[in-house]
Amino acid sequence: MTLPAQSDRQPLVGPGAPLSSERLIRYSRQLANPDFGEIAQRRLAHARVLVVGAGGLGSATIPALAAMGVGTIGAIDTDAVELSNLHRQLAHGVADIGRSKLESMADTVAQIDPEISLIRHDVWLDSSNALELFAGYDLVLDGSDNFATRYLVNDAAVLTGIPVVWGAILRYGGQAGISWSGQGPTYRDLFPVPPAPGTVPSCAEGGVLPTVCAIVGGIMCSETVKLLTGIGEPLLGRVTTYDALSGRFRELEYAVSDEVDAVTELIDYDLFCGLTPAAVGSSGAGDTSKTGGSAEFGETSGSDAAGGVSDEIDSRELAALLSTEAAPQLVDIREPFEFAIAAIETAELIPLGGLEGRLADIRTDIPVVVYCHHGIRSERALRLLQSAGFTNIRHLVGGIDDYSQVIDPALARY
Amino acid sequence: MSIQIRYFAAAAEAAGRDEEHLEIAAGATLSTLKAVLIERYGTLMQRVVESGSFLIDGVVRRDPAHAVGARVDVLPPFAGG
Repeated sequence: MTLPAQSDRQPLVGPGAPLSSERLIRYSRQLANPDFGEIAQRRLAHARVLVVGAGGLGSATIPALAAMGVGTIGAIDTDAVELSNLHRQLAHGVADIGRSKLESMADTVAQIDPEISLIRHDVWLDSSNALELFAGYDLVLDGSDNFATRYLVNDAAVLTGIPVVWGAILRYGGQAGISWSGQGPTYRDLFPVPPAPGTVPSCAEGGVLPTVCAIVGGIMCSETVKLLTGIGEPLLGRVTTYDALSGRFRELEYAVSDEVDAVTELIDYDLFCGLTPAAVGSSGAGDTSKTGGSAEFGETSGSDAAGGVSDEIDSRELAALLSTEAAPQLVDIREPFEFAIAAIETAELIPLGGLEGRLADIRTDIPVVVYCHHGIRSERALRLLQSAGFTNIRHLVGGIDDYSQVIDPALARY
Repeated sequence: MSIQIRYFAAAAEAAGRDEEHLEIAAGATLSTLKAVLIERYGTLMQRVVESGSFLIDGVVRRDPAHAVGARVDVLPPFAGG
């Protein structure tokens, strides 16, 4: 019998061994779904999926995949759990703060089902290890938090021939789709090239509503199960978008584009995304700057190798300057709630949104340094002030987060 | 000619709407359309135009000289996870 929802698509994975009665009871509510049944469940048990990122989307997908019975789940992440993760990363709790996200995730999965194998890949995914890692899996879920990793995941999946189920979130919005070379369009057919550094905020900079993680993560899990078992119509050649503010889903169909470069090998994705090696190095010290997703963009913008250096200042130089008689005017352009968490002594709060209306408060008789959380918004503030005619302005590279790590650990990080 | 243009995410915020019909000169190119949108919606749209994808009749287009079709979708990327 074939229901209308049934596709002609072959299941990605063959069925594993017959299930025990204990397993049949565990999965009884999904086995009862039309066209699902024991064979589909055995396919899940036999499947190997890799999840890139154990953050917001990782937390929304890995426990769900484990609970549904996906037998082998690999997870890639190098971060530790932070307090600011807990509002959306429900796989982690207070007791996990400071632990590796993979360890915490392994405990969460073990509590749901100790028979599910969670393989921990405590590595930074890059061009040197991606193909080997991907070769061991049937499918990849991309819940990473930066463009360089997203293009790498896409390209490595193209080269290994496996599908990517991807999701992305920012503020009140989400997007999800499947990228599968040979079967349909890929991520590059939707986004041929990455945006310029600093032009698209990360969740750390722009914010994110936690429920958007759950919704996009839920879609990713549904698409994964559909591909593994061959049921339904995959979200291939379509991207679904969600806007929490309107409560509306909208869909966009797209096809393979002849204007997109073919993927023939893995490249330097930091370079591809406009991140210079120097800037990546200088911002890559802490885990936040890597998978916190905040520092990849913007740190380098406006500071190409040769020019622009004079309008940047680093934490050490700022600390030295603040201790002299000729201290600069220090302007914190973050939001008031951020200022309340931590601020560099002597800083004045002028949120970026209101900066244009407070130009009279910016000194012209002494140097001015503007800073924000990670050095992204402050770079925008710098440009704004420069275009308003100010000449003696610099912005703090890496923001107060870097200042806290390098100079003053008493400043709370968030 | 009349085109249907759909805005997603930050593009919808910049335009203040999800979609609209635009009258545009016959034979207009992608670069013309981008200029029209920036003129119409200002700096927020400029940012979207710089980083977002333009799909013409369901196919992403980068060539500024590409002719605008009946349906255009403007989709900004984001990478949060």
